Amino acid sequence: MSSRIEILNEGGFRSDGRRQYELREMTFDSTAQAGADGSARVAHGLTEVLVSVFGPREARVRAQTLHDRASIHVEATIAPFSSTSDRRRRGRGDKRTLELAATIKATFEPVVQTSLYPRSQIDIFVHVLQQDGGVLQASINATTVALVNAGVPLADYVCAVTGGVHAAAPMLDLTSLEENDLPHVTVASMPRSGHLTLVSMETRLHVDRFEEILRLAGEAGPVIHKEMRAVVRQRTKDLLDGMGKGLRESNPAEAMIEDE
Amino acid sequence: MRPPSPSIPEKDFFFSALDQALRLDGRDFLEARPHSLSFGAELGHVECSLGKTRVLAQVDAKMVRPEPQRPFEGLISIHCELSPMASTEYEPGRQSDEEIALARMLDKIFRRSDTIDREALCILAGERVWHLRIAIHALADAGGLLDCASLACAAALRHFRRPDVEVVGANEVIVHPPALRAPVPLALHHTPYCITFACYRAAPEPSAAAAKGAGAGTVAGQTETAPRVLLDPAGLEHRLAQGMLHLALTPQRELAVVHKAGGLPLAPGVLMGAVQVAARRARELEAWLDVRVREDWVRKKVEVR
Amino acid sequence: MPVVLPGEVIQTQHKTIKLGPGLQQISNPEEKTAMTVTRAGTLEQNAKGNQFWVEGNSRRYVPAAQEPVIGIVSARQGEGWRVDIGYAHQASLDGLAFEGASRRNRPNLKVNSLVYARVSLAHKDMEPELECFDAQTRKAEGFGELKGGFLVRCSLKMSRNLLNPNYFLLPLLGSRFPLDTALGTNGRVWISAKEVKQIIVAARCIEAADPDGGGMDQNAIKKFISTLDL
Repeated sequence: MSSRIEILNEGGFRSDGRRQYELREMTFDSTAQAGADGSARVAHGLTEVLVSVFGPREARVRAQTLHDRASIHVEATIAPFSSTSDRRRRGRGDKRTLELAATIKATFEPVVQTSLYPRSQIDIFVHVLQQDGGVLQASINATTVALVNAGVPLADYVCAVTGGVHAAAPMLDLTSLEENDLPHVTVASMPRSGHLTLVSMETRLHVDRFEEILRLAGEAGPVIHKEMRAVVRQRTKDLLDGMGKGLRESNPAEAMIEDE
Repeated sequence: MRPPSPSIPEKDFFFSALDQALRLDGRDFLEARPHSLSFGAELGHVECSLGKTRVLAQVDAKMVRPEPQRPFEGLISIHCELSPMASTEYEPGRQSDEEIALARMLDKIFRRSDTIDREALCILAGERVWHLRIAIHALADAGGLLDCASLACAAALRHFRRPDVEVVGANEVIVHPPALRAPVPLALHHTPYCITFACYRAAPEPSAAAAKGAGAGTVAGQTETAPRVLLDPAGLEHRLAQGMLHLALTPQRELAVVHKAGGLPLAPGVLMGAVQVAARRARELEAWLDVRVREDWVRKKVEVR
Repeated sequence: MPVVLPGEVIQTQHKTIKLGPGLQQISNPEEKTAMTVTRAGTLEQNAKGNQFWVEGNSRRYVPAAQEPVIGIVSARQGEGWRVDIGYAHQASLDGLAFEGASRRNRPNLKVNSLVYARVSLAHKDMEPELECFDAQTRKAEGFGELKGGFLVRCSLKMSRNLLNPNYFLLPLLGSRFPLDTALGTNGRVWISAKEVKQIIVAARCIEAADPDGGGMDQNAIKKFISTLDL
């Protein structure tokens, strides 16, 4: 499984010029889709995911309603043009997309306060637009921002990050080139408590190395959280500005937001 | 029709028992159900049971042409079948979500973690390779199906032996029947064992019983307010679990798969505690499996004079 | 009692007989009364020899009128509830079929709560119906919602055994600690005791004594209890 490309050179730089623990540039666009109740387009470097959230609304299929809480329905699609290596069209039955959807659903079920909306349904649509490693990480982060935008009550943010190990040297936020060669772990944490909601690893790794990555990922969580909060705050501010153009001086809510 | 969810008294009782560090079947928190194996007449045919859960695994190999992109590698495919026979929860027809999840997990544990040396399955580069087909049938599901299936699968891979082959000249392959030449075991890099934990929210008030439970063996790093972690959940424990954690480890303390999708958030310390417990159990399972497979091989061996 | 298998023909001298589960009468041109066995089990008959039935063991419950059952409320339906009793179909329980219930004052059962009820209607073409009182006296007679405790599932034979006052298990458990039980013929037994531990012991003993599970007899159960932590 060794590649010809140097993953980490002697100077401590990775193939795209980053340091070991450096994250790729993150962009969050929370105005991605006007038709949805909440949406977000999140990019980690070249990986880009668009998530739209609808609901809570009445369930399409009556049989799926739960009498004491809302059900969460996740649908994921991976665009055929999203990666260079594998340009096939993935249908509805594709195992990888189904698993992505199931993972996102399971991650957010305990976080979303579903018991506030009995007999309703929250739909989350995930579109992977570009892949360059960390698809699950980007999807989870995008879903968090989209849910916040939709005003769905959450217990906390969920921040996901990928970590890998190259010859005993741990690194964060892998590109697909690194993902193909290194054992990697995706960790989603709740920044307030530092607890982990999702840990997913599919390649062999020694227990001690794993512990190290877990610790690093725990440290990366708050960084992503900070970015997300900034975006959500900016979006709220924009909305407020739009609402109260003439009332700017006398708006206490806005003053509060700028205070933070 | 879906089976009804556990009734309110069942649920309440389960959690009050948990508060007193008791499990319904009398096990300790980190005690697994008894497991057993029985081998069939054919090599690679194994039936494994874990408590009342039973799984049949069957490995067979046939010669095929390799994929053009990978001329030196054999093929491996894992097929899972969860029929309504295993439990009333499964419906006939369409693949259920559980079946997809099981198939994906087994695929990760045995195929993606490079358990089997694929290059050793090559007979003639670009022309002939072995295609290993692993069929998993769930016979009865009383919880912990994944653990049981992975144990059955590991045992079947250890038990299986392919016929010896010989390449003569440029592209002539001779297959020696097992009666003439001893069949060859598969080249396995390691054997992963899947171990499942169920997690439950901490007791509302740190009770005295939780402290007592510490003696009965709780996950290291589990303080009184930490969530409770049960090894090998069965039946009601499975259905009432607030979070599940699947770990696949090799006896060499290497994690092959970590799968904790959502559910109850865990502190990293609790997770690592579970990993340590699982590592110990993987070593125990390895030693046990080794003995069982060897016993069966000795029993099967026929001396030719 | 002889073990019989489906298809066997049994003849009797009696002219008027009553057949229980597992038997079917066949028309016979001769004057004799004959029946075929439709289920495997042991053939039982009453002292007079004019009532026959086959005692077998199965797991799927088929309701019969007047049998006590334990059900799980699965949904509310109009004035009553739909209750799962382990049969192929849900049973219905009317909101007024409780002691002292009236249009104004109906009991409030939540979804997923347990009820101890009697089958009031069992017909192969209709949904079974339950009641939580005696229709004549309108008294509860022990039926109603079961609160607390724990539900144990066992085979149908085991639940019938437990209902038999001469069966050893419940008196044996009762000699160790006080316990309340509600016995359903649908393979469900509700147990309540003071301590969680005691309920667990009772549940494990029922499982161990179940002819479909451990199949232990009285002495084995006694030994088994002594190994448990009480």
